[in-house]
Amino acid sequence: MNTKIGRRGALAMTGAAALAGTARAAAAPKEVEIALLVPLSGPWAEQGILERAGAEMAVDDVNKAGGIKSLGGAKLKLLIFDTGATVETAKDAAQRMIAQHPHLVGGMGCWLSTFTLAATEVTERAKLPWLTLSYADAITDRGFHYVFQTSATAKTQAEQTVPFVMKLAQGATHKRPTKVAIVGDNTAASVSFLKPIKAHILKQEKLTAVVDEIYTPPLADATTLVQPIRAANPDFVLVLSTNDGDDKMLADTFSEYGIPASKMPLIGNGGHWAVPELLKTTGAGILQDIMVGMANWPSKALAPLVARYIKRSGNPWMGQNEIFAYAHVQILAWALNKAKVANRLNVADAIRTMNITDGPAIYFPGHHLQFTSIGRRVGAALVIIQWQSGKPVTIFPASAAQAKAIWPV
Amino acid sequence: MFENILNAVAAGLIIGCLYGLMCIGLGLIFGIMKVVNFAQGEFLMLGMYISVYLVAGFAALGIFGPLVGPFVAAILAGPVLFAGGALLHRFLISHVSGLSTAARLDQGGYGQLIVTLGISLILQNGGLILFGSTPKSVLTPLSARAFILGPFPGNALLFLNQARVYACGVAIVVAVVLWLVMERTTLGKALRAAADNPVAATYMGIDVDRAYRIAFGLGAAITAIAGGLMATYLTFTPFVGLDYVIIMYSGVVLGGMGSILGAFWGGLTVGFVQQVSALILPPQLQNAAIFVVFLLIVGLRPEGLFGRSAERA
Repeated sequence: MNTKIGRRGALAMTGAAALAGTARAAAAPKEVEIALLVPLSGPWAEQGILERAGAEMAVDDVNKAGGIKSLGGAKLKLLIFDTGATVETAKDAAQRMIAQHPHLVGGMGCWLSTFTLAATEVTERAKLPWLTLSYADAITDRGFHYVFQTSATAKTQAEQTVPFVMKLAQGATHKRPTKVAIVGDNTAASVSFLKPIKAHILKQEKLTAVVDEIYTPPLADATTLVQPIRAANPDFVLVLSTNDGDDKMLADTFSEYGIPASKMPLIGNGGHWAVPELLKTTGAGILQDIMVGMANWPSKALAPLVARYIKRSGNPWMGQNEIFAYAHVQILAWALNKAKVANRLNVADAIRTMNITDGPAIYFPGHHLQFTSIGRRVGAALVIIQWQSGKPVTIFPASAAQAKAIWPV
Repeated sequence: MFENILNAVAAGLIIGCLYGLMCIGLGLIFGIMKVVNFAQGEFLMLGMYISVYLVAGFAALGIFGPLVGPFVAAILAGPVLFAGGALLHRFLISHVSGLSTAARLDQGGYGQLIVTLGISLILQNGGLILFGSTPKSVLTPLSARAFILGPFPGNALLFLNQARVYACGVAIVVAVVLWLVMERTTLGKALRAAADNPVAATYMGIDVDRAYRIAFGLGAAITAIAGGLMATYLTFTPFVGLDYVIIMYSGVVLGGMGSILGAFWGGLTVGFVQQVSALILPPQLQNAAIFVVFLLIVGLRPEGLFGRSAERA
């Protein structure tokens, strides 16, 4: 076949080739923007600072490994936003983020469930895929399509925490606990945790709540919360605070009243209970034996990653907040690679349909990454750590346990 | 139940004393100089941070130790903030308060709002840059120890947090010293005269601007000392002032504008109500209870608890 191409045809082909090149260039940007929206000021700042450390390390790791390969090695660019200390400032920050950065392809945050609930109202309207470690069930109960909750929800954690505590207590004391004291704040995660406990778990475990006190954070004093607990002498205490300032105040007051965790089992919930700053402000002696339920903790298999993090950050360990942020960046990088285009809708689709046991899945217990139709991670379960000799160590699940649980007898 | 009441009352009185000292600082500025100071909470915050760094410095030098050091540091935060407050007054607040604004329609009120709000925002965000947002606390083993008294009737025990008891003692001493300065010294008389009638005070040879500068410096210093004392049992960030500025204003208004004693009693009342209300109300309504009592007292006695009966400071 003899095909003649005239001058016009050649020009047209050259133009088409140039356009195609431009289109490829547009599809493969040099940088892809992702967002981290966390508290960097106010009572929850420490949690945001740790998330930032984890996310920054992940972005550096992705970029050093050649960036997003399917996008021609495009580098990830992490944009960081501060939620501030209130729901209003969190929502304002989310609105500014969306308005000022139209090229964002995904994001993560906001640590505190109350903030996440507000911020995801904004990200959902913008169809921005949003990964969160926040615990409140309501985050994924609203029928949103672009919110992905990688943690076990507060309800799931509550349903796993209390039976674990009952079993541990029975094993150590040969007696089934009958009395529990509950003290918690009124933020969304704590409320969500307590709902199933009050609805059915207490009844199911034949427990009576001898004290049930809810407060508004931050605490100015914990006397009126702890004193009734001392008087009621429960078998264990569920302490559902959400920031390390309140944790210190409560741990100090329990110790002041002669019932530290080494005498009265204290069970907390959330990553804030295991941050290095809490050790600095409270001391190892006061924290000894406090048990904390949370949604993730680096496993033994991640020891090299943890060692690199410790060297890089100067922090003594890598905890829940850092590993979640690290994993969230890796999920976005994986989704961008799969989507082959820096478009938030395609990235959301990639996350929605992911079902993997390698890549970013290795940063979660169970090494499986898949989301349900409402955006919850399939098989997300509880991890429990305990403060032992000035360090948080995993005691549950048994497969990940670094130490044996201690129950004060 | 008796033990609950006993402990709540004791905690209320101890925390109330610290709130009282905090309120005296604002009482000097708001109650006497009539300057609406939105930055008072930030003076409290600066007192906390100065204390933290002084305690770290003492530890590095091996002096005072973790039991005495925090209280020495809290007291030393006073002179630092006195100097800062006096300079702030000299270069900013004096332009919107005192004699220079007496002839203005609003007597400098609008300017004060804007200037002090600006100072507050600069101090908050400057604090964020300088100190970071990681919550800090003065490290002392006293924060987790208690003096245990009793048994009282019904085998009730009274637990008094050692850090707060010592802080309360220091707060009372500082308040008494300030009261003596105001009542018994020439400086105190000059400050009171400048507060009562600045024009007449000028005729009597008192440098009213200097008196206001000293009052502003003292107000900042006293609140900073209160902050340093509270830092022995609280964790804080550069935004901690926001949590306490409303408590300070309620205490000052409750006690009666213009009265040092009144400001102290006002603060004490706020702390007491905050703690004791938790006996009958859910703890999450503690701060709401403060404002219910505040509205009741202001409704029944608009001049505040000590508005007339207490001698003007």
